[in-house]
Amino acid sequence: MTEPAQLSRRSLGAAALGAAVASSLAGTGSLGCASPRRRPGEVAFWVSYGGNNRKVLLELVARFHREQSRVKVLPTFQGDYFEGLVKLRTGLFVGKTPTLTHVVGEVVPYLEAAGVLEPLDAIGDEVASDLEPALSQWGTFEGADDVPLVALPFNRSTPIAYVNRALFAELGLAPPRTWSELRDVAKRAGHGGDGATTRWGYECPIDWWFWSALVGQAGGELIGKSGAVELGGEAGVEALELWRTMVRTDRTMKPPPGRDYNAWEATNSDFLAGRAAMIWTSTAFLRYLEDNAPFPVLAAPLPAHRRLAVPTGGTFFVMPRGLEREERESGLTFLRWMMQPEQANEWATRTGYLPISRRGRLELERAGFFEKHPNVLVAMEQLAHARRWPWQKELFRVQREAVQPRLEAAVLGGAEPRAVLAEARNLEAG
Amino acid sequence: MASSGLSPSRAFHPFVLLAPTVLVLATFFVVPVGLAAYQSLFAWDLLTEPSFVGLANYRALMLTGELARVAGRTLAYSAVVVTVASSFGLALALALNREGKLVAFVRGAIFSAYVVSWVSVALLWLWLLDGQAGLVSRALPALGLRPCDWLGDPSIVLFTLACVTVWKIAGYAMVVFLAGLQDVPRSHYEAAALDGATRLQTFTRIVWPALRPTAAFVGTTSLIASFQAFDVVRVMTQGGPVRSSTIFVYAIYEEVFMNLRVGRASALVVVFFVLLLLLTGVQLKAWRTLAQGRVAT
Repeated sequence: MTEPAQLSRRSLGAAALGAAVASSLAGTGSLGCASPRRRPGEVAFWVSYGGNNRKVLLELVARFHREQSRVKVLPTFQGDYFEGLVKLRTGLFVGKTPTLTHVVGEVVPYLEAAGVLEPLDAIGDEVASDLEPALSQWGTFEGADDVPLVALPFNRSTPIAYVNRALFAELGLAPPRTWSELRDVAKRAGHGGDGATTRWGYECPIDWWFWSALVGQAGGELIGKSGAVELGGEAGVEALELWRTMVRTDRTMKPPPGRDYNAWEATNSDFLAGRAAMIWTSTAFLRYLEDNAPFPVLAAPLPAHRRLAVPTGGTFFVMPRGLEREERESGLTFLRWMMQPEQANEWATRTGYLPISRRGRLELERAGFFEKHPNVLVAMEQLAHARRWPWQKELFRVQREAVQPRLEAAVLGGAEPRAVLAEARNLEAG
Repeated sequence: MASSGLSPSRAFHPFVLLAPTVLVLATFFVVPVGLAAYQSLFAWDLLTEPSFVGLANYRALMLTGELARVAGRTLAYSAVVVTVASSFGLALALALNREGKLVAFVRGAIFSAYVVSWVSVALLWLWLLDGQAGLVSRALPALGLRPCDWLGDPSIVLFTLACVTVWKIAGYAMVVFLAGLQDVPRSHYEAAALDGATRLQTFTRIVWPALRPTAAFVGTTSLIASFQAFDVVRVMTQGGPVRSSTIFVYAIYEEVFMNLRVGRASALVVVFFVLLLLLTGVQLKAWRTLAQGRVAT
């Protein structure tokens, strides 16, 4: 944590600039004033949810309040994950942090290396040992064994394929199990062409998460054993070539307009409107798609190339360092409650995120939940092939700055995949 | 030398009178730009200690070609917005500079786009221009034309955004030009008519010389508005595809919010400020030249 004496050296102007740039551009104006002095027992909880997810979260918080009166949780929406992260960083700088927030997995090593996260070991062994290994801090990251527990899983997910079951039945198609089947199925599931496509066979955001799934399937690693940024090597190139071929040669894949979560929303909308027969998106949208599609939805694991592989995604609970002991305890009380099987299951079954409690998962199995909801089981079984992220503080920068902006250039623009990835590696090395 | 009646009775009086303005300008303009210039010399992520890097942020922006690309896109976008919005606004003003309830309604309808929020306008056009399901894309085949991927094709997306901006601000240009037209004395039109001037001659010899300062004003304000464009990019394209619609303000936003680079964002702010200063200077000079030309006329 930064000492006050160091702040004066770096100039107060830095804070003013950061706040001015951030608040004037975001237009939200909540920086620096989102965490007023809190009363004993109050837990300021910054969240990045909209729609159904926020509704479910607020209902959980309301139930928490009904069950006890000592701790009061105050959820505050802070924009999407990236806007929330900027606000967290600004809050850390000016000393106005929430008690709890949640951040994407890739950014956890970065925050931990900066020394701004409170260790959460006090959550207790009972809770920690119940966490689904592939979704917890130790199971998600390679090389995190020596690090204290600083992140607890919350809304965790994997990429997954969704197909229009009725359409696939009508066309006699099955979800693809390999890359070559993916190309074939996408050709057969689409309709129209030559600038007048009415239904795309396959749609997927041109996004780091899905690209890293392809890299894993092609047998590559993003970061080598030595810690060097490899970006999959030849596998990274193959992954981009697959998309490039499907977009430019086969013309069977629709790259959705927009970037980041806007592209994800566009993908969902196209699927629900029947404009895409098969999409790749997050397990987080499982319930949303099932509830809103005018056709039966079938979830399927992502196809293999040389192997089956998926990354994990979503966010972890974190607690900023430097809180008063009482506030820390209040935050931990809420976290312990949220990690219990009942709450973890309610969150998972009502949203589509993966159940993070092992006991909770067993309860779901005993209750026959997976038989009634086989799509959820697909998502759970895919976890067996989850690839770990490297616990590296630059992982977030590799994602946001080196790779993400360049993917589109290779798939949609004229840039060669090999050259694009070489440029990304050089940027990171520099 | 005897003092004139305009001399201050106390030497400090002018400074007292200027102080509020100087204070406001310093607080909200000079100091922030100065801080941005200072901060641009550091690498800082708002989290860990900043480290002094000198001009490395500027060098990185230039060596990667990012600065040139962002500036090029911004200038291209602005050129379309300023020229088309001004021309379109002038044409509308000339067409609607007459009495009548219907004309008044049309003027109001056109201007209404200007008062609608940017986010609403962007969402509306996002829906209209969707490459597959948008009304525009559906209407084109009915007219025998091939649909375009207005927001998904890197070669046209910037011009799509410029057209949306023109749609929004053309009403403003129209109103300003209408006000300018009210300044043209009726006797000038009558004299031109008596001399047998054609409509084109009346416009080139009477109307346009009178509207030059108005045109310069519309051009300057449109230029500033186009350089400040953010909402339309944020809502409709998020700078994509392939960064083809990443213009200045969005690039600054991206450096802070996405890339966690405050120093590099500050360097972009400084370059942006200098560029706007230069362009405004050029426009002001042109404005003064035009105004002098009008006096000479």
